[in-house]
Amino acid sequence: MPRRIFEEVVLPHVDAAFNYARWLTRSDADAEDVVQDACIRALRFLPSLRGDDARAWLLTIVRNTWHGRFSRKGASAQPLVVNEMVDERSDEGLDPEALVIRQQAVDSVRRAIEELPVDFREVIVLRELEGLSYKEIAAVAGIPIGTVMSRLARGRERLLAVLGPLHAMEGRRDVS
Amino acid sequence: MTCHEVGRLLDAYVDNELDPAQSASLQEHLASCVGCSRRVADRESLGRLIRSVPYYEAPDRLRAHIATARPRTRYTPSLLAWAAALTLAVSLGGVAAVRMVRARPSVDVTASVAEAVISSHVRSLMADHLFDVRSSDQHMVKPWFLGKVDFSPPVDDLSSIGFPLVGGRLDYIAGRPAAALVYQRRQHTINLFIWPEAAGAPASGRQGQPDKEDVRSTRGFQTRHWERGGMSFWAVSDLNDAELGQFERALRH
Repeated sequence: MPRRIFEEVVLPHVDAAFNYARWLTRSDADAEDVVQDACIRALRFLPSLRGDDARAWLLTIVRNTWHGRFSRKGASAQPLVVNEMVDERSDEGLDPEALVIRQQAVDSVRRAIEELPVDFREVIVLRELEGLSYKEIAAVAGIPIGTVMSRLARGRERLLAVLGPLHAMEGRRDVS
Repeated sequence: MTCHEVGRLLDAYVDNELDPAQSASLQEHLASCVGCSRRVADRESLGRLIRSVPYYEAPDRLRAHIATARPRTRYTPSLLAWAAALTLAVSLGGVAAVRMVRARPSVDVTASVAEAVISSHVRSLMADHLFDVRSSDQHMVKPWFLGKVDFSPPVDDLSSIGFPLVGGRLDYIAGRPAAALVYQRRQHTINLFIWPEAAGAPASGRQGQPDKEDVRSTRGFQTRHWERGGMSFWAVSDLNDAELGQFERALRH
């Protein structure tokens, strides 16, 4: 029963799909549209999922759905919608001052990633937030592995240049 | 390893994508180089910071929508009725076409498809639009079609027998989307067009004859057509027929 397989295989990855779509579109509403559309397609393409990793497979469909909808409009020209989300996770062991510094750091890192060109942004998100391998990123983004590596390198260089000294942002002393 | 070499492998090292030997010689360099160690530490700090950015979780509303979503294009009763009507029309058309062929052997239903396939092949070479995805990796080419066409074309790498895969693109043959895979044989380009045979494709009158094949030569181009696993395949090239035949056999194994 494909419906049951869909629920077992695809639905667990809806968060990953939404996170990726949200970083691609930088808008909650657009991300919802893309994921909803992608999941309907996923249900239709279920037979093409053969022993592949379901998460990477779903992310590929999300990517293609987004690309089909937004790339022609010029994704980079879209207005940047910054969603002021608050990180509610507890950071035990940090004093209040360090907590404030940490929260500011998280905000500026998120903003710096959002301002990256989408080509760099997506490989950073797939690698750091989804933990995909280079091979999986290559398949999802439809680029060669060498390009994955060079985009990650350039994306990180840009972030490092924008963010400045990181050890201060991490709320710890310099590494010795 | 020099600092320059280390610089190129820095990201792969931080991401655990190096093989053990490379990783070991990079570590050896790091042990004696403060500058490169600092770059590694920066990347590791950056990774920790990025991972501390909150994950965007799917809203409950979206989850509810997806849980109740149905691929409407398939299961809506009225569409089913249309599909039935279409299937009937296609099979009737197929019967009529077969009758025509029997009555007048010179008229061939697949001739117009062959013509369309050759035109598309020529266009792809002339307009320099051979690839939408350029890769020799079948595991990259196959997922590229996900979500772009409503079927999953089989993608085989035949480089071991001298037909390397070089890429793929989306094409239109006789008014329907087709997956086009591009293979190379020396300086010759082979376009392999694939579409689901059951979905009202032009050659669908041939259903139920799995081993049917069609070989022809038009305007200096060879075409070979076969059907397999519910898919219609058209290979076209200026390559000689013997080698194109070898290509076809490899794909049909």
